[in-house]
Amino acid sequence: MAEAMRHEGERHSNTVRLLGREITVEGGVYTVVFGALAVLTVIEVLSAEFLKGAIHDLPEAAATLQAIKAILLLGIAIIKSSLVIWFYMHLKSEKPLIAVVILLPLLIAGLSIMYLLAIPPSGYGV
Amino acid sequence: MAELTADHLPAVAHDDHGHMSEEEHNNNMKLGVWLYLASEIVIFSIMIVGYIIFRINEEDIVAQAHEELGVGLVTANTFVLLASSFFMVMGLRAMQQGNRAGMLRWIGLTALGGIVFLGGQYIEYSELAHLGIVLGFDTASEWSTFGMRFYAPTFFHGAHVFVGVLWALEVLRRGARGRYDNNPIGIEMFGLYWHFVDVVWIMLFTLIYLV
Repeated sequence: MAEAMRHEGERHSNTVRLLGREITVEGGVYTVVFGALAVLTVIEVLSAEFLKGAIHDLPEAAATLQAIKAILLLGIAIIKSSLVIWFYMHLKSEKPLIAVVILLPLLIAGLSIMYLLAIPPSGYGV
Repeated sequence: MAELTADHLPAVAHDDHGHMSEEEHNNNMKLGVWLYLASEIVIFSIMIVGYIIFRINEEDIVAQAHEELGVGLVTANTFVLLASSFFMVMGLRAMQQGNRAGMLRWIGLTALGGIVFLGGQYIEYSELAHLGIVLGFDTASEWSTFGMRFYAPTFFHGAHVFVGVLWALEVLRRGARGRYDNNPIGIEMFGLYWHFVDVVWIMLFTLIYLV
């Protein structure tokens, strides 16, 4: 009960503790998260454009740069998604059962992706 | 065998008439939405896997598609959807603080964000159609293999945004009549759906337009 009330208070407070400093902004943590999402999106798009140019200019390193690009951009996308799920969907204050409900299909989907990616493009040549 | 008495029953389960408490009712409603979203994860995952496999095997076509697609319009659209997610959570916050007018304003902005997103998607599809990037029924087209992989997840997502806009309008209608004044669970359920649609777009935007 006390935990629930603490989360309720956090949701409605305009003061947020960020990097060791307390800042007050209308909307509190929700506004801070939106700012983070916007900044991460700008970083994501600029990184993609920069790496696309680098891949074009350095064809001999294209495979490595493409791998770096994929890992970097997917990493940023996962951080953005997690921010939305954790703060906007309030998974932070939900019961652990909800986390299981959402993580289980993600796990199954992840394993399925790994399995499907392991199939060679030409099939097994049966 | 241990005797079952009222002391052993959960305190919040039911009142004297067997009715659920409001808290339990709300938790059940939210769990239902989360389970529905879990099924949506599986459906979107299938489409995403299809695209990833195509992306790995057909690098040249995807690189060409990236040149044609560009990122200007879709980035602006992404910002609109992220902003609508922010408006949504602010709407819920306003209602939890007893501010019905504020909730109506924020949810109205959420619906508007969804409409603008769909408008942007329509413009994008029109431009792509002009470039010949259409569904893959014309096997003579160089885009025949790309079209379906691109349109299936993005259109399916757009359909979810459309449903979300309708839901937002219904929340506005009910909210204006005071339906959520005492219990904003209906807004929270819509919020879970809307944020999920946002999360899916975050992944699609990165996978299809950037990687």
